[in-house]
Amino acid sequence: MPKVQFIDPRVARQAGEITFTPIPVNQYKKTITEEKANFSDADFLRIYHDMVVIREFETMLNLIKTTGEYSGTPYDHPGPAHLSAGQEAAAVGMAYTLTVEDFIFGSHRSHGEILAKGLSAIQKLNDAELMQIMESFFDGTILKIVSKDFKGTTKQLGRRFLLYGTLAEIFARETGFNKGLGGSMHAFFTPFGVYPNNAIVGGSGDISVGAALYKKINRKPGMVVANIGDASMACGPVWEGLSFAAMDQFKELWEGDMKGGLPVIFNVMNNQYGMGGQTCGETMGYGKVARIGAGVNPEQMHAERVDGYNPLAVIDAYRRKRQVIEEKNGPVLLEVLTYRYSGHSPSDASSYRSKEEVEAWQAQDSIASFGNSLIEAKVTTQASLDAIWADIKSVMLEMFKLSINDNISPRMDIHKHPEQIGEMIFSNQSVVSMDDQRIPEVNHPMAENARVIQISKKERFAFDADGKPFSKMKQYQLRDGIFDAIVDRFYKDPTLVAYGEENRDWGGAFAVYRGLTEALPYHRLFNSPISEASIIGTAIGYAMCGGRVIPEIMYCDFLGRCGDEVFNQLPKWQAMSGNVLKMPVVIRVSVGSKYGAQHSQDWTSLVAHIPGLKVVFPVTPYDAKGLMNSALQGTDPVIFFESQRIYDIGEQFHKGGVPEGYYEIPFGEPDVKREGSDVTILTIGATLYRALEAAKILEEKYGLSAEVIDGMSLVPFNYEKVIASVKKTGRILISGDANSRGSFLNELARNITELAFDYLDAPPVVVGSRNWITPAYELEKAFFPQPEWFIDAIHEKIVPLKGHVSSQNFSDPEQIRRAKQGV
Amino acid sequence: MATVVIMPKQGQSVESCIITEWNKKKGDQVTKGEVLFAYETDKASFEEEAPVDGILLELFYEAGDEVPVLTNVCVIGAAGESVDAYRSGGVAPKKEDNPEPAVITEKAEQQVINTVNPGTGTGAISPRARILADKEGILTAGLSGTGPRGRIIEQDIQAVIASNPKTTPLAKKIAGQEQLQPASIGSGLGGSVTAKDLTSPNPVYNNDFEIKKLSNIRKMIAKAMHSSLQNSAQLTHHLGADARRMLELRRKVKKANDNGYPVNITLNDMVCFAVVKALRKFPQANAHFLGDSVKYFSKIHLGVAVDTDRGLMVPAIRNADDLSIQGLSNQMREVAASCRKGAVNPELLSSEAASFTVSNLGNYGVEMFTPVINLPQVGILGVNTIVPRPKDLGDGVYGFVPFIGLSLTYDHQALDGGEATRFLKQIAIEIENLEFEL
Repeated sequence: MPKVQFIDPRVARQAGEITFTPIPVNQYKKTITEEKANFSDADFLRIYHDMVVIREFETMLNLIKTTGEYSGTPYDHPGPAHLSAGQEAAAVGMAYTLTVEDFIFGSHRSHGEILAKGLSAIQKLNDAELMQIMESFFDGTILKIVSKDFKGTTKQLGRRFLLYGTLAEIFARETGFNKGLGGSMHAFFTPFGVYPNNAIVGGSGDISVGAALYKKINRKPGMVVANIGDASMACGPVWEGLSFAAMDQFKELWEGDMKGGLPVIFNVMNNQYGMGGQTCGETMGYGKVARIGAGVNPEQMHAERVDGYNPLAVIDAYRRKRQVIEEKNGPVLLEVLTYRYSGHSPSDASSYRSKEEVEAWQAQDSIASFGNSLIEAKVTTQASLDAIWADIKSVMLEMFKLSINDNISPRMDIHKHPEQIGEMIFSNQSVVSMDDQRIPEVNHPMAENARVIQISKKERFAFDADGKPFSKMKQYQLRDGIFDAIVDRFYKDPTLVAYGEENRDWGGAFAVYRGLTEALPYHRLFNSPISEASIIGTAIGYAMCGGRVIPEIMYCDFLGRCGDEVFNQLPKWQAMSGNVLKMPVVIRVSVGSKYGAQHSQDWTSLVAHIPGLKVVFPVTPYDAKGLMNSALQGTDPVIFFESQRIYDIGEQFHKGGVPEGYYEIPFGEPDVKREGSDVTILTIGATLYRALEAAKILEEKYGLSAEVIDGMSLVPFNYEKVIASVKKTGRILISGDANSRGSFLNELARNITELAFDYLDAPPVVVGSRNWITPAYELEKAFFPQPEWFIDAIHEKIVPLKGHVSSQNFSDPEQIRRAKQGV
Repeated sequence: MATVVIMPKQGQSVESCIITEWNKKKGDQVTKGEVLFAYETDKASFEEEAPVDGILLELFYEAGDEVPVLTNVCVIGAAGESVDAYRSGGVAPKKEDNPEPAVITEKAEQQVINTVNPGTGTGAISPRARILADKEGILTAGLSGTGPRGRIIEQDIQAVIASNPKTTPLAKKIAGQEQLQPASIGSGLGGSVTAKDLTSPNPVYNNDFEIKKLSNIRKMIAKAMHSSLQNSAQLTHHLGADARRMLELRRKVKKANDNGYPVNITLNDMVCFAVVKALRKFPQANAHFLGDSVKYFSKIHLGVAVDTDRGLMVPAIRNADDLSIQGLSNQMREVAASCRKGAVNPELLSSEAASFTVSNLGNYGVEMFTPVINLPQVGILGVNTIVPRPKDLGDGVYGFVPFIGLSLTYDHQALDGGEATRFLKQIAIEIENLEFEL
């Protein structure tokens, strides 16, 4: 896209070949004695210690799941436990060199990584810093529990803190790291650089790239490690994350100190199984994960396979890869070969592998062999190692007992506070800038921006004093309202970035961002690959780390391409983190028309169904600007729908036109666009304008006065205004462009029925689109609600209109027939 | 020439209709536009109107019959005209054993779209219309709705409101509660409908009875009376008082009235005044029996039974012992009038408001009765008509003297027979020795 890059046909068409360089496999060969130069005896023992902590932790959970007790203390843990016994060297090796500022993301099998990174951070923090973290986290709740009657060092206290917080989280205690709302597969602790683990395979594959993006764009120290599994390499979002991370523009187009690759290491914990599927030989074709690097970029992602059964091999790799990252040559792909002893989960009988295989790997057990080599190299003695084991078993049992004590570690009291979880779904904060210490990077003052100047000359109300409309070109349009709010925020919040397909240069497919390219450096506005999972996934990671972001989904129909990100990740993390994380992500989603079945769908209902998302759909310039301002001022994920039918529409309702200054419109407040007394029409989205046409027909032809309300928001939604209207009119028709089956319109109808039953003169009637594919533009009138449909539905279901001849069949038998046919 | 009425074809797919009701019978004079019969399809109900004036000469089908569309149903013409030409050859209408379900086709769709025409009521009513009807006291049974499939909707109730005479708020309330319908012209001001203009909508003619729901006031009286007899040990003593003194005073009052004296002191006023005086001497009768205790009143609150159109009411004259007979008389008249107007303060109607009650049936010639106590009061005095009775005038001379009958019902739980008798006697003494200045 950028004009600076000339695609020369002579070069592009030249004959040649793509060459690869060999990808190293298990090349580490040093002995302990050789490594003594790099590690002190204490370092070696610490590595051993950290591995044992993980082994004992996982062993404890396995015993609880399989025998109902640990060291004679019974406990029932009904929740998940995806254990990583066997993988300790991989986890400790990964975490050993990481600084506190380095972030790790994980998978469903990440207890080991949490503990390894936590122990590594505790080691690197000085005592004051460590105490400060422990004292401030949840007002010192965890610290109070683990420090009671404890006399040891601060670092030992830190270890207790880490073990207890993780265990309490796994056991769904309110004293857990995430108030028990994350659990085994989502536990994390950001002050130690431990970012969320993810119960969706490959879930961290794109989120972690967003975290790296945050570090790069906001010049934060440290790098990001995405711990994902060998089986996740088949997942689309992981590929999308790899592709996004490897974009040429980081090295080719981003300017100044921004030039260079993303600081991210895809650390594939290759335990060789995806549940029961054997990735090498059965369910994948890569043979070795590291091969994939060769397909991603010319640097082959600096990929290699390292022996994850030897912690020193992994540490060695990390020392080398850190260099790559620091030289801005990321991303890196590291395959860490390992093996898990337990099944996928306690219910897995390991029927897919032989006993001999497990025993063969156990015979080379990483802890045992590392311990033996330490003894051989005279670093330590068996007695010292035994002491390490005894110490860990003792603290483990103590932390276990604390974490299952209902008095010390209660669960959320949802009887006493029945709305406690509900109150955690949204953070509902009002924050101008996510980093008020920095000045936003821009190319010129806002007043000098060509688009800003152009908009300032526009007519901010659609009609002149005589009620005649100004020409489209002169009107301040819906797209101008959206632009206004966004450009304003770019000048207020240095962390704000926007990206998606065709966001830069082109100015967005629908010209909302026209002029923004000139105002912003590359790293604040850029084009993404055409891969929606990476667009949303990276935005989630970006926001999780503290930034504000506007990812764009060019057509609503593409939401399916980022289903996991929109349904499973974005809405969940605020509550699942115990409100540790904020999620200021405003996804702009454009609802199409004219482009047939895969480019014209209104999927507002799909996202409105998912708890944890705010969903708005403004259809006037005034509303669009006010709601976008609110969205960008907030700290919650917002799905901001726009309609391609009306990007050029002027402001027809707000007296005085769209204000020039900043203003917010609160979410959830429907707006009466036309007052009336006989029937209420409530619309979601661009259907508003067809409802207004219908209102005109009702008035002129049938003498019915229609009140038209624009829902504006789907989530949240204040019913009071609608109920007041229904009390007045007794009748309501609800319309939107979503196909009617399962649409949010039905949710509105149900609530209105319940809330205003005694005031209703007829059941609330829903007029949505047909349950078909969206046909070609020329046939759309048979599919989307049309003004006459409103009249037909009122005639058939609300009040028969004298002399009206219906064009659409809204009769009961037809309704039943359609339902029977499933159309 | 006679005019034949056929079963209309209501829509493309309709093959036959069922006559639901005949509004006219053979031989009736009908006027153009009058409804002859109602009929229905499987989707809606309709009415057929007389196309011309004339006599309904013949009905070929009865209510309940299924009639193929476009078949002759009845004939209207002049008296004596033959209808034979319109009989379908004497052949009974063909009935299908298995009427085909309406197949929804393109054609059916066309038809269905037109079925929202209002028909006669199915009884369905929107919540909004129902609440409005209740509030306005409008009967919805039998009302035809204009909503989809004949549903009664708000505009139908509004239409009834507009067509109904003005209705008083009380009438609206009672009509709503008791499902009564208003007369077309009321007896109130400007023809407005009052409560007494409400009648039951029972549409059945020639019944020898009519079932009416109890009015609220009737329900309350019924409950109070039944409870009184259930929950007390009441019995009645009868005794006569020489009424000569009273009649003498009454004559004086009348005469004074003729000369402009403002207060018309009636015999009843005098009895009540005597009762107040007697009660002063028998505080145990001026009391409420409360089961485990008795509440003795230091003041006398006299309940007086008032017959009104709406039923019996017993308002209390508070502090009757403070009143002169003139004051008592005035108050009694006032309170009775406000009871009849329905404007009495409801607090005065409570049986707790009075400490003793007088019920006078003398006007109606009643010679003796057993009034029922207003619990928790311990007694009630029934006042009977005045009858001449022989009396020993002294010296063995007997003459007919007017006697007023007094019937005291008392709660034996609270009073013994002796004291009740002495109290009753005291009332008689007070009556016989009544004195007041005009």
